[in-house]
Amino acid sequence: MKKIILDNNIPLVLKENKNTPRHALCFYFKITEPEKKAGVYTLLNRLFLQGTKTRDAHLLAQELDENAIDCYSEMKQDFIRFKLQCLNEDFEKGLEILSDIIKNSTLEDFEKEVIKLKGEIQAELDEPKALAMNSFYSCMFKDHPYGHTYTNILRDIDSITKVDIIDAYNKLIEKSPKVISLVGDFGSEDVTGLLKKYFSDIKNNAGCKIKNDVAELVKSEVVKVEKNDASQAQIIQGWRVPTIFDKDYAAIMVMNTLLGASGLSSRLFLELRDKKGLAYVVRSSYEIYDHSALFNVYIATEPKNIKTSLEGFKIELDKVKNIPVSETELENAKNNLIGKRQFFSETNLQQSSLMAYYEDKSLGADFEQTFNKMVKEVSAEDIQRVANSYINDRYVLTVLAPQQYLKEM
Amino acid sequence: MENITKREINYPYLTQPVEIYERANGHKIVLAHKEGGLVNVSSWVKTGSINETDENNGISHFLEHLMFKGTHKHKAGYFDKTLEAKGAIVNAATWKDYTFYYVTLPEGPDNAYLKEAIELHADMMLDPVIPEDEIGPAFTLGDDKVSQKRERHVVIEEIRMRQDQPWTKIYNSTNFNMYTKHPYKRDVIGFPETIASIPRETILNYYKTHYTPNNITTVIAGDFNHEEILELVCRSFDFQGRENYNNPKHELDTPVSEPKYIELKGKINTGFAITGWLGPVARDLKENIALEIVNVVLGEGQSSRLYQNLIEKSDMPVFNIVTTDFYNFKDGGNFFVQANYKADKKELALELIKKEMTNFLNGDMTEREFNKAKKKLKARFAESAETVSDIAENIGYYMTVCDDLDLVEQYPHILEEITIDDVNKIANKYLGLNHSVTTVLLPE
Repeated sequence: MKKIILDNNIPLVLKENKNTPRHALCFYFKITEPEKKAGVYTLLNRLFLQGTKTRDAHLLAQELDENAIDCYSEMKQDFIRFKLQCLNEDFEKGLEILSDIIKNSTLEDFEKEVIKLKGEIQAELDEPKALAMNSFYSCMFKDHPYGHTYTNILRDIDSITKVDIIDAYNKLIEKSPKVISLVGDFGSEDVTGLLKKYFSDIKNNAGCKIKNDVAELVKSEVVKVEKNDASQAQIIQGWRVPTIFDKDYAAIMVMNTLLGASGLSSRLFLELRDKKGLAYVVRSSYEIYDHSALFNVYIATEPKNIKTSLEGFKIELDKVKNIPVSETELENAKNNLIGKRQFFSETNLQQSSLMAYYEDKSLGADFEQTFNKMVKEVSAEDIQRVANSYINDRYVLTVLAPQQYLKEM
Repeated sequence: MENITKREINYPYLTQPVEIYERANGHKIVLAHKEGGLVNVSSWVKTGSINETDENNGISHFLEHLMFKGTHKHKAGYFDKTLEAKGAIVNAATWKDYTFYYVTLPEGPDNAYLKEAIELHADMMLDPVIPEDEIGPAFTLGDDKVSQKRERHVVIEEIRMRQDQPWTKIYNSTNFNMYTKHPYKRDVIGFPETIASIPRETILNYYKTHYTPNNITTVIAGDFNHEEILELVCRSFDFQGRENYNNPKHELDTPVSEPKYIELKGKINTGFAITGWLGPVARDLKENIALEIVNVVLGEGQSSRLYQNLIEKSDMPVFNIVTTDFYNFKDGGNFFVQANYKADKKELALELIKKEMTNFLNGDMTEREFNKAKKKLKARFAESAETVSDIAENIGYYMTVCDDLDLVEQYPHILEEITIDDVNKIANKYLGLNHSVTTVLLPE
């Protein structure tokens, strides 16, 4: 792996993998100015594939498909990233299209995109799990952009103007800190030269300070979502926890693994699924953004099991707080966490994405090695300490179920 | 070394040929070389809903869950815990033609993790105890007094989860109505009533009947010494003379002769529709490739016809989502058009889909669309050669559903040679509107 700073000051992180048929590139644009109306960046992100000055949406999609080039943008809480993946021989063609999308998108199909987005959101909200998650995040983050979920987008979308989108686009291109990562079998190809050719006119704004504070959660909140024909209740309970930049990051990762993220051997899986038969899906997750992070537990269960499931969560969370984890379980969780990273970074695209993710957070593209060391140092006391510090009475609990079961809660 | 036959197949984008071994008892072992530190171990069993009846529908999938509940050597949980402590992803899946079990994990120092995974995987495949207390007592649905809630309840929760998914609901209805008698008509997961009451003995007998040497293919993908691993797989998979079993042949179903329409209601806000057709048997590679081309042209991605004509270029918003899908099955694949639309535009939505299908069947696919689809299908091989899991899954599919890996070698040639005329003829053979079954789901 190596890092080069391009002429325009954008860091490029590179890794060569021999005998791989496809190149994979990621281009990160950090969001420097949080959106005021829910959906601005979602719309901008969609408009990136809706035509450039020389290619309309159809031609663009057709050219990508004709060359079997995967090229798309993704909007996340803190950044918009472009991903490009294509057969080695088509790499320059891919770069040319990507640079056209980034620099020359017309953003003209704004009204049509608004209609399409509304329709897709409505379809999505017909899925009970999506509906429950929507309520959970919008309560957890209230008016902060991290809480701009589907229903908030539907609330704001008609007030978003084309000027808002153009403004967001200009800020993204001109003001955002940027990172490029590339993984593939380059051979004698001058990949740096190619990147300069297509992207040297895009400026970096490294070191830009972003203000996007998240208000603290001061009390617990319970959100009940009525869905009268649901066969299962959807239950999500979440706490605010420190992010990747905190000293407790590795300890929370290990705690999450042993509680509900290691697969079939995690505590929640064994206790709530295998022993009590409460669910098919039960797990925990640690979701990390730049300015906040969440530790969540989730179960989908027959509505009459809501109380038993919540008690089950409490028992398992209390155990982590009160009883030191055994050396064996701790070692197993650490090895699971470290070993599984290989699975999630097997393809060139996964590696490229991970490198850019770390570089974007100024942790260094090779942060994975540091992470492994941090994990190895986590002790049983650390697990107990983070559990007691962060899993407290300030949480958001969302339950979706038929009305009669919500009343009983 | 025991008596074993060997063949080699050139698998696109892999740096070495894939080796296929067949043992005297019929057990097949496939070794695929892929650089990198990850390995995949999987076994594919030729059973799924294709071998089920109304009485035992769901048994293949229930058995899949119960295979993880311990062996005579290792109690329940040991397999998951031991391998997950090495960073493994452990799971299984059941579909119409097969059930497969897999482990993906780092190879370990001197392939130590791979070897342990093979031994534990073989033990699980050949010696499951399926203990009564892990299955849980049989019960009547709705009985709140059940105390021992074990795996029966887990599977019933999986069924509930699917009942809440609008797409799954209409897929099942369309699938059921596309067939008259073939076992494919049943939903793989079965019904809660069956899962609540099916006795252990029935499950055990089902295991003994179907998990036989000739019905199992074991695939190992990764970077390892082939001779050593082959020897280990043979040693670990000791079937102890287990008798073979050949799946009965089912008569292929004939499609409906006039369009069939089913309407369902739910507490939703948008409309959902799936139209389905019966397609060619999996071993007819040319016909399958033809329908894969139709799938790309009609309904895959933003450049596809349905997306462009019905969403992108539409003056009036009718559709939120419109795509196609093509599934390959041993006794005949399925082609689907899937749509989500404004709830009050149902008639128009169905009419517009019909019009697009008619235009296509009248042969208006352009050379450009045709070539795009061919390029995409070619690149798919490069994609599926990127991870040990995808390589193993592709090999497992061909070995189990198509009975051999020879089709992988033929695929690029047939794809190269197929003409636009071939595709149009094959599309007309299968996708006539009179042969279609449509289910819609609308707000109550």
